[in-house]
Amino acid sequence: MVDITLTVNGAIRTGSAEARKTLADYLRDDLELTGTHVGCEHGVCGACTVIVDGLPVRSCLMLAVQAAGSEVTTIEGLAPDGGLGPLQQAMWDSHSFQCGFCTPGFVMQATALLSHHPDADEQQIREALSGNICRCTGYQSIIDGVLLAARRLRQPAGQGE
Amino acid sequence: MAIVAERYTGASIRRSEDPRILTGAGRYVDDVKLPGMLHAAFVRSPLAHAQVRSIDVSAARDLPGVVAVFTGAEIEDMTVPGPDPLVAFFGDTGPTPEFTLLATDKVRLVGDPVAIVVAESRYLAEDGCDLVEVEYDELAPVASAAAALDPASPPLFANLGSNIAREHPRAEFGDVAAAFAQADRVFDFHIDVHRHQNVPMEGRGCVASYDPQTAVMTFYAATQGVHVTKMGIVMRLGIEPDKVHVLAGDIGGSFGLKIGVSREELAAAAASRAVARPVKWTEDRGENLTASGQAREESFDVRAAVSNDGDLLGLDVRMVVDTGSYPSMGAMLAGIVQAMLPGPYKLAAMGFEATAVTTNKAPYVAYRGPWASETFVRERVLDLIAHELGLDPVEIRRRNIAPRTEPPAVMVTGRPLVGVTTMESLERVAELADFPAFRRRQAAARIEGRHLGIGVATFIEAAPGPRSQDGPSDPEGMEAMRLRLDGDGVVVLFTGQMPHGQSHQTTLAQIAADEFGVPFDQVRVVVGDSDLVPFGLTGGSRFATMTGGVALHGTRQLKAKVLDFASHLMEVSAQDLQITDGNIWVRGDPESAIAVTEIARQAASGDFGPGVDANLEVEAAYDGGAGGWSGGTHCAIVEVDVETGLVSVERYIVTEDCGALINPAVVEGQIRGGVAQGIGAVLLERSAYDEFGNFQSATFMDYLMPTACDIPRIEIEHLETVPLDADVNFRGVGEGGMIVAPPTIVNAIEDALSPFGVRIYEQHLPPARILELISMARRAS
Repeated sequence: MVDITLTVNGAIRTGSAEARKTLADYLRDDLELTGTHVGCEHGVCGACTVIVDGLPVRSCLMLAVQAAGSEVTTIEGLAPDGGLGPLQQAMWDSHSFQCGFCTPGFVMQATALLSHHPDADEQQIREALSGNICRCTGYQSIIDGVLLAARRLRQPAGQGE
Repeated sequence: MAIVAERYTGASIRRSEDPRILTGAGRYVDDVKLPGMLHAAFVRSPLAHAQVRSIDVSAARDLPGVVAVFTGAEIEDMTVPGPDPLVAFFGDTGPTPEFTLLATDKVRLVGDPVAIVVAESRYLAEDGCDLVEVEYDELAPVASAAAALDPASPPLFANLGSNIAREHPRAEFGDVAAAFAQADRVFDFHIDVHRHQNVPMEGRGCVASYDPQTAVMTFYAATQGVHVTKMGIVMRLGIEPDKVHVLAGDIGGSFGLKIGVSREELAAAAASRAVARPVKWTEDRGENLTASGQAREESFDVRAAVSNDGDLLGLDVRMVVDTGSYPSMGAMLAGIVQAMLPGPYKLAAMGFEATAVTTNKAPYVAYRGPWASETFVRERVLDLIAHELGLDPVEIRRRNIAPRTEPPAVMVTGRPLVGVTTMESLERVAELADFPAFRRRQAAARIEGRHLGIGVATFIEAAPGPRSQDGPSDPEGMEAMRLRLDGDGVVVLFTGQMPHGQSHQTTLAQIAADEFGVPFDQVRVVVGDSDLVPFGLTGGSRFATMTGGVALHGTRQLKAKVLDFASHLMEVSAQDLQITDGNIWVRGDPESAIAVTEIARQAASGDFGPGVDANLEVEAAYDGGAGGWSGGTHCAIVEVDVETGLVSVERYIVTEDCGALINPAVVEGQIRGGVAQGIGAVLLERSAYDEFGNFQSATFMDYLMPTACDIPRIEIEHLETVPLDADVNFRGVGEGGMIVAPPTIVNAIEDALSPFGVRIYEQHLPPARILELISMARRAS
């Protein structure tokens, strides 16, 4: 077991993990943050995406010990007051998801995208999200949610639609 | 006071499921964590077909952290032999292969489970699996339907004696001989549909928790019906029904995979009982792709009798379905393929026979429109005939579709096409696509060396199907619901439906809120608890009519009871009371309004003596009313890059009729998701095996799923043409997209490749195959 300390959703979390334990399993089992979902465990489906030091990361491909000292944001950390952040709200308004299993990965990937490219157009959004698999929706509603969020985020406060 | 009745039904109300799903607060089965919980992993066969000579679990048992290891034989001793619970549920009576929950003497597919290891963590359970030594004597693999049909092939199941799982004897509808005798042209086609699979983003899984103190098995499931799961546990573990409690939370998709309880889940339950601790099993993606189940893989010999004008006079079809190992659903497939094959067409004569075979591949499971190959075959054959006769794909369908008449036309296989609007949907999609303009664009593009193609296909879906004279509209029978007004004034619906993405908690609340007269958020929909909900199953696109209908009628029943109770309190006749916007009031006297919450509070707290029924609860059942069909026509425009074989879908148009829409955004989500699966099936996905039965697509690098870059915007137009029922005209829409998208795309690809003379008799068209088809056609010409 290796002692590790990392910052998760703004809180410092200290614990220990077997060297082989993935960050996804550490978040889910040890920190009981089950919002991060494990969909393929080989880095293709993107369901387990979290943000580590500002970049989207597949938490099934990263070991917990590799995340020591890092700042990790999971879906539980997007709107700590229990409400919805602007992207989540736009996705709700757009009927973005169905079963919800891929949802945390898409939300985190799209969060990272919009933080770096707030002006992303549809094709850029599709490409940025093409590493995340959704089996339910055919993607259109997810893309629409991200586009809506981007549009709202670009508008100055108070100028609603 | 303002009393405004807002109507929720028909509006794209935001989903009540979403706040939890969008914040990571959903509760999926792998999120369940119980005190003392152990984790299971399975030792699986690396061989397709072999005798198990010996199994040595001693090293695994000695591994620190491993709590127990059970071989197939030990699990067999701990459980009750019996048929596949799902086959039993569907009432199938044909010959049934005999097999055990885990393999004992024999393995029948790569991934067949032979032992279960239970340990303190999943990591340790997998370590334990690595230490289990199994010796196998290899048998000749039966890796294709052709091999299975060879009488010399070694039978997978001794009690069947061969690899024929089921013969569906020849049936004739109409005068088949006469149809072929009067035909101008007779065509023969061999058409293949390849093996592909459900692939929900959440695999299978469970937490089984047996309490030796109470002898109760609590089972947390990912299932399409908690009672169907419960039935399997009762059967195979030999536990009394009142001692089995099945719970389900959010479910990460299924598409037919999770209808019943799997062999692995039953083994996990048996292990929990043996070790008297909770046991979790979470399928990983490799297991999911390899062993959870696969679908389709049918081949068809089709003979078509046709007039020179393009009238389809008769079809004669022989189907072989490769049901893989452990056949259950696959053996029952032929009947429904036969029934649906005529589709919405005038076809007057049809012969049909089928054989289901067993092979050393993953078992056949239901996948969104399990019978879908009937639509693929019919819509492919129509285009092939159109090519031969020089007809346009719209024109050949226009000639053959049964027009809407009164009385309705009847499918040659027996069911009336009541309310079917295929002709309307075809005409509308042709208009939206603007065929003449497309043909001009296509011709211009070809001059530039670009290959565009257009395809159409139509379908109907019995969701639930027209009312029959001898019973409910839906083949799975009546739908039940319990409803009550809780003490806090919330209308609570208990349904046996087990939503796994379909938004049932939203759509049922819309219906009930309108019918009762309360705001949307004053309705709660309870699912996923076998102690609370009536029997039910989410599947077969059953929900809209059957559950929507029972919600509507059940709410009406509950409302009458509430008004009756309120009439005692308010000292007026119940007939003079109405409920709007959460208030009960005397018609014409807004001042009389009392909140439903207040009436509910009084009912819950008061003693009203004899003659006043304050138990505000009802049980409702619904037979589907007039029932009806869903259906529509899809159109795709594709571009094929003839240098690389890549196909891109430029435009995809849907005109569909599922009757009245409960929630348009939900309906459109179902359609788009189904279409995406259909596009994936044609362009990407294949559950591939080599000639030895080795599975070739056990990761997402090999089993290719469609991504946001592969699926275009999908345009949808709804027809809501024919109300059949006084109250309930919602019809199911879950499966149609997946049923009709594959022929739509393939038809478009063939159209794009028409300059090469390519004819397509298969469904899976990845780039390499496109290039092969082009070069084969070039060589032939």
